[in-house]
This record gives sequence, structure tokens and C-alpha cells, in this order.
Amino acid sequence: MRYGSIIKVPFGPQHPALKEPENFMFEIDGEIVVGVHPRIGYNHRGIEKAFERRTYLQNIYLAERICGICSDAHTTCYTQAIENLLGVEAPPRARYIRVIIAELERIHSHGLWVGIAAHEIGFDTLFMYVWRDREVVMDLFETLSGNRVHYAMNTIGGVRRDIPADTVPKIKHGMDFLEKRLKYYLNVVQNEQTILKRTSGVGILKPKDAVELCAVGPTLRASGVKNDVRVDDPYAAYDEIPFNVVTHDGCDVLSRIIVRCEEMLESINIIRYALDNMPEGMIRVRVPMAVPPGETVSRVEAPRGELIHYAKSNGTTKPERYKVRSPTLGNIPALCKMLMGAHVADIPIVLAGIDPCFACMDRMTFIDDKTNKKWVWTMQQLRRKTRK
Amino acid sequence: MGLDHATIKEKDKKMTTETFLIILQILVFPGAFFLFALAFLYEWVDRKILARIQSRYGPLYTGPSGILQPLADFLKLLSKEDIVPMAADKILFTLAPVFYAVLPLTTLFIVPVASQKSLVMFEGDLIFVMFTSALMILTVFIAGYSSTSRFSLIGGVRAALQMIGFEIPISLAMIGPAIAAGSLSISNIVQWQQTSLQWTVWLQPIGFAVFVVCSLAEMEFVPFDIPEAETEIVAGWRTEFSGRKLALLRLGRDLELVLASALLTSLYLAGPQQVWLIPPVVTFMIKTAFVVLMFSLLRAIFARFRIDQMVSGMWKYLVPLAILQVILIQLGIGR
Repeated sequence: MRYGSIIKVPFGPQHPALKEPENFMFEIDGEIVVGVHPRIGYNHRGIEKAFERRTYLQNIYLAERICGICSDAHTTCYTQAIENLLGVEAPPRARYIRVIIAELERIHSHGLWVGIAAHEIGFDTLFMYVWRDREVVMDLFETLSGNRVHYAMNTIGGVRRDIPADTVPKIKHGMDFLEKRLKYYLNVVQNEQTILKRTSGVGILKPKDAVELCAVGPTLRASGVKNDVRVDDPYAAYDEIPFNVVTHDGCDVLSRIIVRCEEMLESINIIRYALDNMPEGMIRVRVPMAVPPGETVSRVEAPRGELIHYAKSNGTTKPERYKVRSPTLGNIPALCKMLMGAHVADIPIVLAGIDPCFACMDRMTFIDDKTNKKWVWTMQQLRRKTRK
Repeated sequence: MGLDHATIKEKDKKMTTETFLIILQILVFPGAFFLFALAFLYEWVDRKILARIQSRYGPLYTGPSGILQPLADFLKLLSKEDIVPMAADKILFTLAPVFYAVLPLTTLFIVPVASQKSLVMFEGDLIFVMFTSALMILTVFIAGYSSTSRFSLIGGVRAALQMIGFEIPISLAMIGPAIAAGSLSISNIVQWQQTSLQWTVWLQPIGFAVFVVCSLAEMEFVPFDIPEAETEIVAGWRTEFSGRKLALLRLGRDLELVLASALLTSLYLAGPQQVWLIPPVVTFMIKTAFVVLMFSLLRAIFARFRIDQMVSGMWKYLVPLAILQVILIQLGIGR
């Protein structure tokens, strides 16, 4: 239904479909979205600056807190970058433990997302069920590390905690249970008519657009493009573990759900293999406090997609520059493309479809949109501005 | 005239007791008080069943198994601050919740609850039920319109659009039993079912199914909770209401649940029935509780439709089905 007259509808920064503050200005013609203007910067935390003021050891804990869901992906990426600069490598057992934690995290993150997606289309029963079963992973995290959210497993040069032999059957038992449940959910998602009605053919992102707009992670793979840092640029122990990269060629929200569900099943297999083939040995090497000068880029396949950390050191105990490119930022242009032509009622599910984590990706810059002039302010100038 | 003082006094006394009884019936049983209690009870039943299906606990603390939770919520809302938006149309904004609570209550007087006969009955009260159910949606629209918030406005418009979808099939589904019983009065339909010893649900299963689906839409239950889709438009048409107004809206919603289950019970499940020693009101409550259970089950197993999908689905599938049912009745099947 189009009426020819365009109205502007703001979406956020405060909106029940968005768990984090972010603003999208939609141009709407009748019921159809004809224009999207994202406006990020509502949740900027200045983490990159904070990196420069802390030592490398303290920064592990800061990196952990970039994201509350994929906290392990960020520390893996951070420790890898610093290990690169130091020229050390984590011991084999530590690399296997990193894989196990990363895959457990993928299950918990994707599970969380499936629940939220179900909630966005009003299917609260599925939401409750998935989150209930996700508790299995959370409990495993608690057993392994003592924490449910910030596991603090990684450290520069290895991991901080071993996976003892007596917890291995526990993890395997949990995986068996999850596999059974996930197969059931996959069946539900593919056959339940109301879910299909709301998700299939919604938020289309063609493979060509996906590549051109630099989409990452499950969003890209749901458009049928085989791209995964774990395979393309293996880190930790991924080069020794056989697994499939899940893709789906539906290009819509439904295929994003299916890709994530199947990825969880794949993660379960990876964890099983890693547990069986975990080498014995030490779990960390000692590293010096100061890092020799240099710069490096580290890549990790976070649950939401490719995560890039850049580090520049100057020989002291603190980094000179640190940069984080979280997957959500890479998906924003693709998101705008998906939203074009969507129904107003489909906005929440399409928006949730990329599994947005706005707090991790938020960036800000001072810009005058009329003259296109950019500038940088110091903290003093910023304070003076707020006092006015 | 042959009336002496004593007879007049006797007649007077009789009339006073009669009037007193009628007032008692309207206010206490099976009138307002009983219906309020039933409304709160069924809200609890609905919430508890839905929660258990979703593997949650549901209400737990107020009263045994949280049975008093709806009442506690109601009282709490009554004591809360009542905010009226600056831009709102004050009169309509204040009246809408009152109408929303009163309309289902009034309609419930027409539906037999404690015996075969309802408190108020006249030939054609079924038409009155259709009229009030349309008025209820109109009230929803006015509530959304008068709060002048964009979420409320969209919610109100969606409710009105939804009505375009379910109004025709629900009316046709109400007509089915009326044709079979040969009466437009709900009490007569109930009586006909009981005397002919057959429940309409066995005679007209299609009509029953259509009625259930349309009731879900009328009460804005999943998959038809489009006017209050939380993730899209916050709380829909009731976004701006707070305090006493919200309390009334919630009461109205609960009464609507009672009304829908009572209508379904009367039109299709033979209403309140005296079975052996069990009084009619108990069978009525068992039947309506069963209907509420069915509603809760249905609202737990679907995702929400989009408004265009809902309206086109209603016209594509439900309207033809409802018409088919009426045709079948005309052909002599199901009466």
C-alpha cells in the first residue's frame, strides 16, 4: 500500500524493540519503508581511549567488557593481537580451550538471538523455551569459569583456567541435551506457519549486495556467501578441527534464523571434537609486561560476524592506539538495504535480524552536516560545551 | 375497588422483596460482583496456564498460587498516579476506559450465567451483543485517537482495521446457532440446546472454530495482538493510559475474556446446565474455564500476524468458512 506522500517516522533511541539506544529515521510511504537514515552514537563509551590509559594486563578485563554477550570473542581477539606483537604463541591446550569457550559462547549468543527474534514476531513461547535451554550453556560457563557472563578465561599467552577431566562428561551431557532441543527448534522454525509468514521473504539481502555492503557473519552467510574467519584465516585451534561453514540461500530473515540454528549444531560438534582431541600440556606462557613497538591486526569470528582489533604499541606497558571494529558496525549498511521496501510492522524483526549489538559498535565524531566540516575536541573543550 | 389495606400492604411487601431480589441479582449474584470475581479469576487462570505452557511460574505470591494477583494488580493501579497527556482530548480520554469496562459488563447481563435465563432477556438480544462488540472496538479506536500519541494512534487504527477482518465472520458464527434454535435470544438458544439434548458445537463445528478464532482477534490475543504489538508500537492503543484508567482498561479486558467464553459457552456448549445435583452456575464455570484454557493454549502456540496478513487471511479463509456453515445449516445439516 503506497499513498505517494512520504512521512518521516523516528525509531528509537528509546523503543521497546531496541534493547540499546540507537536512532533510525524512516521515510515511510503508506506502509512501505522508502528511506532509512541510521544515526549512531547514543551509547558511545570511549573504550578505545580507555585502552590507551591502561596496561596490557588491565586491558584484558576492559576488552571483556566491550560486549556483554560475546565477551570471549573480544578477549580472544585482544590477546591474539598482543601475542602477535610479543611474538609468543599460546600453548596447544590453551588454543583448544579457547575454541571450546568460543563455541559455547556462540551457542549462548545465537540462542539468545533466536529468543529475541521470536519475541520480535510475538512468539513468546518459543522465546521462553529457547532461553530456558540456553541456561544449560550458562551453567556450563559457571562450572568452567565461575562466571556466567564475563568468563575471564583468556589471558595474554594462553588461558587462565584449565578444563579439568571431570567436567568433560558434564559438557558432553549438556551438548547432547542441546542437540536434541536445537533439532526440535529447527523443525519448529521451518514448519510453523505463523513464523514462516512473518519471516520468509522479509528483509531480503541479495548475495551481491551483501558482499558489496560488507555484511559479515551469519547475515552474510544467510545470503549464501561462504565466509568465515574460522576457515579463511584460522586462529586458535580451528585449523585442526573439521567443521562446515553453514550457509543458506534464502537471503531473508528466515534463513538468518536457520543459519544460526544450524551453526549452533555445528558448534556442538566442534566442542565434542575439541574435548576428545584436546592435547595435554600447559595452558599459558609467561609474557613480559612491556610490549615491543609494532602494530598488528587480529581477526576473530565472533557470534555476530567478523571482529577486527587493531593494536599499535610503542615499547611501554600501555598501547599507543587501539581500535575495535565490531561486527554490528559492518552490518549497518546492509541493514539499511534490507529495510528498504519492508513493511512498517516488519521493521523490528528485520532490525533484530542482524543481531545488533549497538553498544559494542558505537562510534562518534563531531561533524557539521551542512558544511561537512569535522573536528576533534579535547576533554576540556567537551566539558566546557556541556556546561553551556 | 376491592383491594383492602392488608392486600395492598401484602402486595407492597412482595414487590419490595422482588425489587430487592432483582437489585441483589444485578449487583451481587449473578451480576456485577460475581462477574468481577469471575473476571479476576479467569485472568489468573489465563496467566497461570500461559505461564505454565511457556515453562514459567506465573503469578505465585498473592494468595494461594497467586490467585489474588489480578485483584492486587487492579488495586495497585487504582492507587497509582493518573497522568493525562497534555495534548490528549481530555473528555474522550477519560470516558474511553469507562466505556471499555462497562460495555462487556452490560453485555454479560444478557448472557445466561446462573440459570437457563439471563438477567435481562428479550427477543433479539443476540443483535445487541453484536452491536456492543462493535462498540467496544469503536471505544478502542477512540481511546487510541484521543491519547494523541503516535503509538496509540497506530494501535487504534490497527484495532479498527482488525475489526473489518473479524466482524463479519463472528456475526455469521453467532447467527448459526440462532438459525438452528429459531430464536434471536441467547437464553432461548441455550434452552433449545438443553431441551433438544444436543450441543451446537457438535452440529456446527465450523461455526465454533470460526467463533474461537474471531474471539482471539476480538480480545487481541496472539496471533492477533496486532493493535498492541509490544515490539512494534509499545503498548498500542493503551500506551498513554495509567493509574485508574489503566485499571479500568484491564478490568474491561478481563470482562471481555469472560464475555467471550460465556458467549461461546451459551451459543455452542449449551450454557449453564443442571446436571444431577450440580447447580447450573458450576457447569457454566467449568465450561467457561475450559474455553479460557483453550484460548490460553491457542495464544501460546503462534507468532503474531502482520495486519495486512490478518485482514486478508480473515477474508480469504474465515468469511467463506462462516458462509459455508450458514449454507450447510440452510441445507438442513446442523440444525
